Amino acid sequence: MSDELNINKKRNDQIKTKSSATSGRGETDIDYVRPAELPEQDLYHGHSFITKWIFCQDAKVIGVQYTLTAVFTGVVGLILSWMMRMQLGYPDLFPFLTAETYYQMVTMHGMIMVVYLLTALFLGGFGNYLIPLMVGARDMVFPYVNMISFWMFFVAVVVLMASFFVPGGPTGSGWTLYPPQAILEGTPGSGYGILLMLISLSLFVIGFTMGGLNYVITILQARTRGMSLMRMPLTIWGIFTATVLALLAFPALLVSSIMMTLDKVLETSFFMPTIIKAGEALSYDGGSPILFQHLFWFFGHPEVYIVALPAFGIVSDLISVHSRKNIFGYRMMVWAIVGIGALSFFVWAHHMYVSGMSPWFGFFFATTTLIIAVPTALKVYNWILTLWRGNIRINTVMLFCLGFIVTFVNGGITGIFLGNVAVDVPLSDTYFVIAHFHMVMGIAPLMVIFGAIYHWFPLVTGRFLDEKLGKWHFWITFLGAYSIYFPMHYLGFIGVPRRYFEMYDSPYMTSAVGMNEFISLAAFIVGAAQFIFFYNLVKSLRLGKPAGKNPWKANSLEWLTPDVPPTHGNWGEKLPVVHRWAYDYGVPGAKEDYIPQTTAPSEVKDAEVEKT
Amino acid sequence: MTEVKKEQTTTHKIGIYLWIWGLLFVLSFFSYMVDWYNFQGLLRWSLILFFMFLKAGLIMAFFMHLFWERYALVNVLLWPMTAIACFVGLMVAEGKYTVFSRLFYFFVGGA
Amino acid sequence: MSDLNLDKLPGGFKGMSEDIGSDQTTFKGVNWGKAMMWIFLLSDTFVFSCFLVAYMKVRASVVEPWPYPSEVFALEMFGVPVPLLLIAIMTFVLITSSGTMALAVKYGYEKNRKMCGWFVLLTAIGGLTFVGMQAFEWSKLIFHDGVRPWGNPFGAEQFGAFFFMITGFHGTHVSIGVIFLFIFARKVFRGDFDTGRRGYFTTMKSDYVAIEILGLYWHFVDLVWVFIFAFFYLW
Repeated sequence: MSDELNINKKRNDQIKTKSSATSGRGETDIDYVRPAELPEQDLYHGHSFITKWIFCQDAKVIGVQYTLTAVFTGVVGLILSWMMRMQLGYPDLFPFLTAETYYQMVTMHGMIMVVYLLTALFLGGFGNYLIPLMVGARDMVFPYVNMISFWMFFVAVVVLMASFFVPGGPTGSGWTLYPPQAILEGTPGSGYGILLMLISLSLFVIGFTMGGLNYVITILQARTRGMSLMRMPLTIWGIFTATVLALLAFPALLVSSIMMTLDKVLETSFFMPTIIKAGEALSYDGGSPILFQHLFWFFGHPEVYIVALPAFGIVSDLISVHSRKNIFGYRMMVWAIVGIGALSFFVWAHHMYVSGMSPWFGFFFATTTLIIAVPTALKVYNWILTLWRGNIRINTVMLFCLGFIVTFVNGGITGIFLGNVAVDVPLSDTYFVIAHFHMVMGIAPLMVIFGAIYHWFPLVTGRFLDEKLGKWHFWITFLGAYSIYFPMHYLGFIGVPRRYFEMYDSPYMTSAVGMNEFISLAAFIVGAAQFIFFYNLVKSLRLGKPAGKNPWKANSLEWLTPDVPPTHGNWGEKLPVVHRWAYDYGVPGAKEDYIPQTTAPSEVKDAEVEKT
Repeated sequence: MTEVKKEQTTTHKIGIYLWIWGLLFVLSFFSYMVDWYNFQGLLRWSLILFFMFLKAGLIMAFFMHLFWERYALVNVLLWPMTAIACFVGLMVAEGKYTVFSRLFYFFVGGA
Repeated sequence: MSDLNLDKLPGGFKGMSEDIGSDQTTFKGVNWGKAMMWIFLLSDTFVFSCFLVAYMKVRASVVEPWPYPSEVFALEMFGVPVPLLLIAIMTFVLITSSGTMALAVKYGYEKNRKMCGWFVLLTAIGGLTFVGMQAFEWSKLIFHDGVRPWGNPFGAEQFGAFFFMITGFHGTHVSIGVIFLFIFARKVFRGDFDTGRRGYFTTMKSDYVAIEILGLYWHFVDLVWVFIFAFFYLW
């Protein structure tokens, strides 16, 4: 805890720097930055092991805690996908894989990967670690709430994992949890499984809201001197917009979870229509199953962008740093992120073209969906134009970025197929859909996550990850993922339905069996390759090459802390002062090929920098 | 120092609160009267909505001080409501379609 | 400490574009906690909106008749059923408490410890009365009229389900608010906000702005009631 005197002294120092610069030159001061509006943040410094590492209020530690928990659930999701592929590639070979367990795995795999891995990792993990560092804050604005947020998430994960061990097992209703079947007998896990899933989701939403408020307010209200919104790295823009989406979209998930819990426990009929079972009417009457779909996708479609936007932002920064060029069209990129975010609330029912909703909706939602393609394509062009004539370093980070662009374009193009009603109707519920969303929001964001971990590992630990293992990891993952999902497009075209446990003796059995076997083999290999990555993490933590300060020669603030890895409070005595955007690479006339954000204009007088 | 500024910008005469308070009571009374006199149909709905939005606006503008906030905050708070408006509008259409198809297929017996 | 003088900043949309273009803060002069409460309320608005949209969609698509709220919520007074009497009183109580909260916030700005504390306490009592009346309303519906979440004697069974869920969720908000109001009344009277005493959990310094933040929450609860009143009882 800091005392008043110290704070005042620091603040005066900051003002003095400004005034001394003014008196030095006399007339208009090109280095002028507005003085601080707010006093220094009052931080709680942990003293014991528990307050420093477990119930910790430091956003960086919370970020790592989020990352580790999310990666743990991700490994569970990976193992589930292996088991699914075992069944699909070699039907009936493994007697423990029944139809019930298969559906449970599909469900848990989907929910874990989308919500508990990707959302938590991007926003909870990268968000917590990077936001205070990149905007030049000492910590999140409400460190205590931030801590609760992580532990809420942790409890949500525990509840989710508990559902594997309750009678009846986890829910097997598909990750969309559509009623009526999700809570009716006959669906695996319709007892405790679905209840625990709904409770876990509600806890996740509550926990995330606490964290999300922190991210938003830190970005809006706690930036350092000189850090305007249009000087923030695109990583922060991506995370910021995604967090806003999450704060506005998760309520729909919370509401639908509560209502479905009541349908299950109290036998209300929110989502449950009149149902005749074995000639007898159940107690439900007059509910609206399609309402659940609307609520779910009102959350679900923004959720897609909650995962994608941080990836867009992070990959922009990685590409810029590793090709030593400013990001092409920074402002356009920002507006594209914000525009995609805003539009994502008006497109949700393109997931429901075959659901029996009002037939008039198709036109509206197809139109809005295709409009989203405009800012998205714009971003892709900008990434490519950033690479164009750049001084590209082909290291693991860059490889993952290139892998992202390829997989994202691939998935995006199939998205245009599915966004059109007439094309979607024959393709929906086939493997084409699986190929589409795994490409666009599975593999592509994962590529960014890997690239980001290779990029920021030196900041978090002070050591590089092993490049050689990294390249192996990349090539196996990239080529392997393509071998998995590319053939699935074909399977979709010939009409193989998704979510089927087995094809039995349908025509698909003969035409798809070889391809399914191939996909399964590729999936086993790709999954195994991830253990190279985990080995690399553990090994490099102790034995990696020491990175030192700013090993990538990057401009953004997180690399400019006095200590590497940064300590609690991030900035030591004095907060940084920002004079430029984060993308001054290869500026003509400058001595170095990069100009950090804190470099004052008077220090690089001859450089032809962009005005930001 | 901040406190001095706060008083300049955010303290208001007690009268304005009392006025709004009184107005809220009057408007609540009016909306109650809508039920009392048993208005029906379009008149009822439009009156209910009118009084509702007026009350909501007064609470937000004066009790929650939004009237005195800077536009940055006001706009950030109000624009997301367009998503809600879109959701409401589409769900009205969807509700009508659902009831139509229920009556058509279950009661009339379909085409 | 700063050159931030809100009166000197331009207002309106010009001010907005300058605020958004500036460094450090986007909402000029807005305390962190207050900004967080506003964004939280925005998120909570989406929660209540989703509840109400769901209610609208289901009510619009049931084929059974929807119970007529004016009769369901009538109260017998001297043998004559008075429509919505209890609801009218509840609305009255909640708006009253909203007004006292506004005054508490006003006295909080002025650092008037006594008045602020009394008005916070008054608001808490108003909230408690509201919750009590809601409990009475619920028990009347459940035990006297036989309304249950899974069915009721008046018509479409979703009526009870939505009623209990939405008013229950609102009542939970009120109850949480009442708890905090009592806690903060104690804090005000103890002088926490004058001395800047540190919070027990968060270790952050107390400030009168907390009363304004609490006030925002309380007015929001009132705001939601305005919508529930219109859509549930009048519609």
